[in-house]
Amino acid sequence: MGLTQGLAVETRGLTKRYSTGVLAVVDLNLQVRTGEVYGFLGPNGAGKTTTLRMLSGLLRPTSGTATVAGGSPGSPGSLARMGAMVETPAFYPYLSGRDNLRVVARYAGVPRSRIEPVLRQVDLTDRARHKFRTYSTGMKQRLGVAAALLKEPELLILDEPTSGLDPQGTVEMRELIKQLRHGGRTVLLSSHLLNEVELTCDRVGVIAKGKLVAEGTVDELRARSGGRALLVRATPVDQAQRVLQSLFLPGQIQVRDGVFSLAVDPAQAAALNRRLVADGVDVSELRVSEQSLEDVFLELTEQAPTPTLPHKGGGG
Amino acid sequence: MIASLRAESLKTRKRWANWILFGILLLTLLLLGYVLTYVLLSHPPRNFESRVPARILKREVFPENLIPNVLAFTSTIGAAIMIILGGLSTASEYGWLTVQTILIQKPSRRAVLLGKLAMLAIITLLIAVVTLAATALTSYVLVTIDGTSSNWPSATVLFKGFGALWLEFAVWTAFGMFLGIAFRSTAAAIGGGLTYLFVGEALLGQLLRNTDVVKEVLRFLPGVNAGAVNASFRLTFQNPNATTQLVDATRGTITLLAYLAAFTVLALLIFRRRDVGGS
Repeated sequence: MGLTQGLAVETRGLTKRYSTGVLAVVDLNLQVRTGEVYGFLGPNGAGKTTTLRMLSGLLRPTSGTATVAGGSPGSPGSLARMGAMVETPAFYPYLSGRDNLRVVARYAGVPRSRIEPVLRQVDLTDRARHKFRTYSTGMKQRLGVAAALLKEPELLILDEPTSGLDPQGTVEMRELIKQLRHGGRTVLLSSHLLNEVELTCDRVGVIAKGKLVAEGTVDELRARSGGRALLVRATPVDQAQRVLQSLFLPGQIQVRDGVFSLAVDPAQAAALNRRLVADGVDVSELRVSEQSLEDVFLELTEQAPTPTLPHKGGGG
Repeated sequence: MIASLRAESLKTRKRWANWILFGILLLTLLLLGYVLTYVLLSHPPRNFESRVPARILKREVFPENLIPNVLAFTSTIGAAIMIILGGLSTASEYGWLTVQTILIQKPSRRAVLLGKLAMLAIITLLIAVVTLAATALTSYVLVTIDGTSSNWPSATVLFKGFGALWLEFAVWTAFGMFLGIAFRSTAAAIGGGLTYLFVGEALLGQLLRNTDVVKEVLRFLPGVNAGAVNASFRLTFQNPNATTQLVDATRGTITLLAYLAAFTVLALLIFRRRDVGGS
């Protein structure tokens, strides 16, 4: 299995069916480029965590292949070059934060001198001597990131890193993720929070019902789904509607709460304004609106078909 | 494996539960098996009845009977403690989900588990050493208080007895460790292990011991084979409570070694192949 140059993660036909029969990931072809921050986006139950578990070697794929940090998932070579926080950060409750990192450092073969720098990096130095069981959710998340950074990994995998954090904690984690990419490090993070992905990631892969339904930059995803619209607030509304219906097709016009959303080229804004005013319509608002990532996401995930695998002989 | 062993050593010595378990083992052995036994047999109650006089029976706590007395006591309480110790060492990792933390570091799954097994081997060795040393010291103090004389066992008997003690500790620890990996639950591992020990072997084994079919099955069970090994270290007086062993000591030793290997291999197989997390 060869690794395409410039890729930190590559999967080909990656599939996972659990022993319960649940088909969690189907024929996933994922490529994460070296040095980028890649957002793995999907609703709850879409297969994000299952995918990350397979990439970390915690789950064995049903079929397909994956190459992670230059090795097969879970191999010592791959693990040595990657750091991961998969699902809830898990540490020993009876040990302090610092001692937990000592344990991780021993497993990873990392010198003890790495512990204090990563504690400083995640701002946990002051609480490092306290038992893990006394930590808040935010501190647990930060300790998880610290553990993932101990090996100074080339690839960092973070599963919902802002999960359970308050707004302040979310902002801090987002800033931390931005710092983590320095030095050419690749970051693969999963999230169901669109705002987080939009603000942090270079490229996004959208997964729904176990299948990758779209991949690209945020702008590419928006453009794929139609992109931008003109928003018009005008009175009287019925007069404005008559004028708009005389200019555009019914499918191009949507009205909600007195605001018209027009799926037309934004370059027509000035001409449209003159026509409305000439026909006795007062225009109080006229602006270009970009389709939000939320709209794109909902469109892509709601349209995703329920995946199946071809039956082999004998059924099941 | 060395990396895993170093990590295990840090976790093990900082976990208070391990020290408490060892303390319980030592305290019950010394207090119940030695001090209380000596006091009761030195001043037996008026309704005390035994084919062997109390002044003879109390010699079981003297140095001459160090090995048989320690082995007899630790084969019950000691076995239970070791099952709990082994079960906690693996099942806790699943309960806390730390198994996924340690499997994404660097060592392979085999190296991770071998490191844990090596740590358990070291722990059982140290417990055996301290147990034997503490009981020897207690025994010496009691015989000194009693004012009688008692010979220490020969070096050969001490060496063999220590080996038997360590082997039995290791087998029960491996049993608990295996149950922890198989069930991925602390309650199930410990509950299942103790139920087997006290109900399966001790209770049913004693009640149905003379049934032909049951007897054939009992010959292969770890507790029965440990009992056969223990019985080869005889008391210096005729033990009125001695039971007839179903196997000899040599077969007992081989069977225990086989169980040790089987629990280890099965644990490795399951640990290497099983998915961690997900549903």
